Amino acid sequence: MSIKRVMTNLAMAAMICVGGLLSAQNTTVTMVLWPGPEGDAMQKVVDGYNAGQGLQDKVNVKMMLLSRDNTFAKEATLMKSRSKEYDIYFTASYLVGQHAPYLAEVKGVDKSLYLKASVDSLVVKGQQMALPLDTSLHFLYYRKDLIATLPANADKYSAIAKSVLGKDLKPNPNPDTWTWDDALATAAFFTKKYNPDSPTKYGYALPAKNLLYNTMIWNDVLWGLGGNWLKNGKPNLDTPTGRAAMDVYYTISTKGLTSPESSAWEYAETNAALESGNAALAIQWNAAYAELNVTGSTKGELGITTPPGTGQRTHVHALAVALNKFSTKQAASAKWMAYLATAPAMKAYADAGGVPSMPSILKEMIPENPSFANLIEYAGKYGYSESAGPREFDIYASLAEVLSPVWVGQMTSAETSKAADLAIAKLQN
Amino acid sequence: MTLMNERKIASWVLSAPLLIMLAALLAWPLVLGVQTAFSRDRLSEFEITASGFDNFVNLVSTPNFWTSLGFTIGYALTVTSIELLLGFALALLFDRKFPAKKLLFSLILVPIMIAPALLAVMFRLILNENIGVVPGLLKLVGLDVSLFAQGSIFATLTVLDLIEYTAFAFLLCYSSLQSMPKEVYESAAIDGASSVQTLFRITLPILRASLFIVFLLRLLDSLRTFDLIYIMTGGGPGTSTQTVGIYIYKAAFVYGDFGLASAAAVVIVVLLVPFMPTIIRQFNIQGAAK
Repeated sequence: MSIKRVMTNLAMAAMICVGGLLSAQNTTVTMVLWPGPEGDAMQKVVDGYNAGQGLQDKVNVKMMLLSRDNTFAKEATLMKSRSKEYDIYFTASYLVGQHAPYLAEVKGVDKSLYLKASVDSLVVKGQQMALPLDTSLHFLYYRKDLIATLPANADKYSAIAKSVLGKDLKPNPNPDTWTWDDALATAAFFTKKYNPDSPTKYGYALPAKNLLYNTMIWNDVLWGLGGNWLKNGKPNLDTPTGRAAMDVYYTISTKGLTSPESSAWEYAETNAALESGNAALAIQWNAAYAELNVTGSTKGELGITTPPGTGQRTHVHALAVALNKFSTKQAASAKWMAYLATAPAMKAYADAGGVPSMPSILKEMIPENPSFANLIEYAGKYGYSESAGPREFDIYASLAEVLSPVWVGQMTSAETSKAADLAIAKLQN
Repeated sequence: MTLMNERKIASWVLSAPLLIMLAALLAWPLVLGVQTAFSRDRLSEFEITASGFDNFVNLVSTPNFWTSLGFTIGYALTVTSIELLLGFALALLFDRKFPAKKLLFSLILVPIMIAPALLAVMFRLILNENIGVVPGLLKLVGLDVSLFAQGSIFATLTVLDLIEYTAFAFLLCYSSLQSMPKEVYESAAIDGASSVQTLFRITLPILRASLFIVFLLRLLDSLRTFDLIYIMTGGGPGTSTQTVGIYIYKAAFVYGDFGLASAAAVVIVVLLVPFMPTIIRQFNIQGAAK
């Protein structure tokens, strides 16, 4: 063996030893996230931190991706057993109230860097309990090519509106100003049952599966009509506004403006209905834009606006990370969280496919994804999130259970609104 | 030490690994589950306190639980009965020689090797009205049906369960048929018994115990159905397709009420336990017969 080779081997061994010693000095922080675009994007940020800032902080971050469907279920058991296994939990606006007893406050967050609706949705009892990652809200997606044909078919539109909804309506080719009457009449116009010339089989794609995320979408209708779950702390769905919001979905189902299969639909099926050209409109998550804009019938014809209403509103929530109160590595975890709260970290996250809640980063990405302009605008103007109470998540789920029979036309709003209020009241106790 | 005592000690020593495993994996979780059922144990509340029978009172006064139980029993009886019939019919078919028997045998077993959750995800796509292969083929022959519509969802779920689990019933029935003494059939043939007479007078009476076990095993399994229905419908619309398994899962991991979920699980165990002596007795009868 040559001297050069021996020296090379010795040098490598020395580097490994030094690396080992350095990593032994570092504190390893474990963080939970779920697989998918968020997990993939975060891995890049973690790798960057471990190779850079982490060395200075003497912190090494290890990320664990649990299953996408059951991350929160697994976390629930960990939290309840006061586990120290993970130092940083994955949470969300709609869960942070439930998770709060097991989380430590995140201090020193510069709220001005974030979308207000997102960062505020993670405040529990005045304390910032989590750091926002991705922001999600809803758009009304529509086919621009179809909506453009409405003015030329005004008489037919009005006739269909009269026969289906019993109302005198004229086409409104500007979805930005739609009320639910406009949306329903347009959906009827693009339903083959009423308009055999319609290029789409159904006018609307309604995600009506008994799923709490579908309650979030229905909430847009409720809020858009001026309602809310609670009024002065008391359940508020057994009211004219609450019933009117239920009736919107009931009408869509019973009039056949959506597929009878809608009762089993959620995110993927709604996308499929729009892409396949079987539906003309749908309220759907902003994440769908990237797919709908480049595939199927919606390719190049995709319009986005706020969900309809007399005062348009859109649900906003943020996925987030939070400190485990029982972690034995609070200081090291806080250093990593402080790094995550910086613009460079979130830029790296965005570059890797994440949708950070920082408007400055999102603005830079508008050329790649024009919907980010709408996201920033709508989150600011129309965004709302339910108060992060301890039972918020439960109320979403409970309402999905109680309301989904109305959504699919099995029951009427009159039969259900009292049960909806009772369901909320039960969870408030 | 007498021989009897030595044998006793040896039997305990030899059984010890199994007993320790049962204690760790069965008895201990069961005790914890029962303890939780008598506690106010919620994710949204930090402290866990004793609650007596509150969870059970809450449970029995919740219509959702009874709706779920009713659906579960109806669904389990439906799929189990059909699977037993189909499985037995297939076993009779495969008990004779025919071309490509081995290939078909393997194909029948494929679904049982697929995880129910995966099967459900696959069929959510395959049966989807907009992008699914099956609705597309049905449209070609003039049938425009929605397989997830409220009127057809029970049938759709039943068919999926049949696809997944008929092979299980088939395998057990087939192995029982294989163990039947061939002399009995030869005697019946010599006596001039028809196929129908042989089936009803010989095969079924001899296999009665085996078929009963197959029925009970599948019934108990069906009563625990969760993944397939959860992925396909989420238990909806409303709670119309909600099984007890989904109810318990939601109670624990959606509503964060571990006490209520444990109470429901305890009730289900109490309802199912009476079946166990029957199954064990049938196993013993079958064992003695052999």
